[in-house]
Amino acid sequence: MEYAIETKNLVKRFNHFTALDGISLQIEKGDIIGYVGPNGAGKTTTIKILTTLINPTSGFAYINGIDVSKRSTETLRDIGALIEVPGIYDYLTPNEMLTYFGKVYRMNNDEIKRRMKETLGLVRLSDWENKKIGSFSTGMQRRLAIARAIFHNPNVLILDEPVLGLDPKGIKDIRELMRYFNSQGITIFLSSHLLSEVAEVCTKIIFLDEGRVTAFEAIEDIINKNKSTEITIKLLKSLSEEEVNKLSSIEQIKTAKAENDTIRITFDGKPETSYQILSRMISFGYEIVTYNIEVTELEDYYISIMGDEKGVN
Amino acid sequence: MASMAQAISGSKRELYNTYLSAMFELKKHLKRRRLLIIAAIAILVPLLFYISIPDTATQFATTSLNFINVLIAITAAMFGGDAISGEFEKKTALMSFPTPQKRVSIMAGKYIAALESTFIMVLLFYGVMTLQIIQLYGTTAIPVELWQSMLIAILYSTSAVSIVFLYSSFFKRSISATILGFVTLMMILPIISAVLSTTEVEPWFIVTYSAGLISNIVGEGGFMMGPGRAFGAAFEPSLGTGLIVMFTYTIIGFIGSMAIANRRNVE
Repeated sequence: MEYAIETKNLVKRFNHFTALDGISLQIEKGDIIGYVGPNGAGKTTTIKILTTLINPTSGFAYINGIDVSKRSTETLRDIGALIEVPGIYDYLTPNEMLTYFGKVYRMNNDEIKRRMKETLGLVRLSDWENKKIGSFSTGMQRRLAIARAIFHNPNVLILDEPVLGLDPKGIKDIRELMRYFNSQGITIFLSSHLLSEVAEVCTKIIFLDEGRVTAFEAIEDIINKNKSTEITIKLLKSLSEEEVNKLSSIEQIKTAKAENDTIRITFDGKPETSYQILSRMISFGYEIVTYNIEVTELEDYYISIMGDEKGVN
Repeated sequence: MASMAQAISGSKRELYNTYLSAMFELKKHLKRRRLLIIAAIAILVPLLFYISIPDTATQFATTSLNFINVLIAITAAMFGGDAISGEFEKKTALMSFPTPQKRVSIMAGKYIAALESTFIMVLLFYGVMTLQIIQLYGTTAIPVELWQSMLIAILYSTSAVSIVFLYSSFFKRSISATILGFVTLMMILPIISAVLSTTEVEPWFIVTYSAGLISNIVGEGGFMMGPGRAFGAAFEPSLGTGLIVMFTYTIIGFIGSMAIANRRNVE
């Protein structure tokens, strides 16, 4: 099977520091993958190897089955990349900048005109086509950098921290663009240290730590695997001993622990079981004020595999 | 046979990429008004020599040509200083490098654009000077050697651009490459020449010494090394050696800068 992105035992050392320690990835075409890890985990190093900005110490990287080290110009035709916060030619206009890149990708004048209209429209910069980039806000510059990344219609889009430094509106814009590009069949490889950001748009997540992949799972699987089985119930007043004992007669409850006006129970995690427990408790006359299923956040899973000291955000 | 055809097509493709890069770089120079500012200097400075008009056209040309080295140093530093280091410092490399073209093609395009810009300034300077000679002394008074001088100035400007490019390829900051490039051409190399001259060693291998040919070839006034005769013996660069030295600086600077830029990591 030919993967959109594939790496085999990728290693990158900078003097005595090992940035990547044998990364092997297989990303299928059309996927939208989150590449998550704390700062210094090796995310940008991986991306720089994939985009031929640096060479690996050992191992292989392929884009659409082509070795990036051996046939770099060929692979780069299929890639659109936004790496970190790139410098932008602030004395040029989007038209001048994109025309140059269009020619680099051997687009003819008609194609350049058509793509200019399409991409600037997508990133909502149509009215700014002939204005100096230097006058753009950070969000606009980032949108323009994305327009540049997709200008040549790549089938793989590599985005490294695309929302870094953006305001909530800018973040929302970029998120919507990513969803749109993926709906058009573009494979998206999104590197970020913001887990919440990745969870919003991606279907699978690769967790990276100290140059190693610690997990590669579908977000849905992570959520299902970590489904909560604990309910916290707050009552109007503290329970009597008789009321506590009565709880054990509800067979759906696995364990129950009462403390003053709060009960913590465990169950099988199914929504219908939760409903049955609630119904039985009301029928027994418990005066329930709140009934909360503890939600296991993706962050909890992240911490469970990365360790407490690694920051999520 | 197939691999040779592939190699030829690959070379053609990279040549076109170099052309695109050169045109893009020139556009940037124009947009940043650098070309216009330095062009204004190249046009206006020769007009200053109206202050004291010598008796002959040759003397006028020799006097005016004293400024050409400064103009070439300014132009090379301005157009070459940030050409490579600027890509890394401003992180525009993160946008321009992950494209289907070799890094060397991009850099060579930048080099050509810097050369073209420098040539334009040299030609402008010579153009204005020639017009002045025509106006002051008549068409027939134009020294024949002026054309040779211009060709030497063009060759010297390629070596000056190569030196600045070499700095630009390994300095992290553009300003460092720009200033050091200018200082090298205007102070460091001339000082080394002067020191060597005082010890009666001809600095034939120093490119700024060879640049003396630009005015020497026109004649009258002669070329004197060092800050003054009191500092040591006077030498005159020979045409053949001077041209070889300029050519050597050009080649070494160009190849060195391309090799360093190609290996440099985008941080």
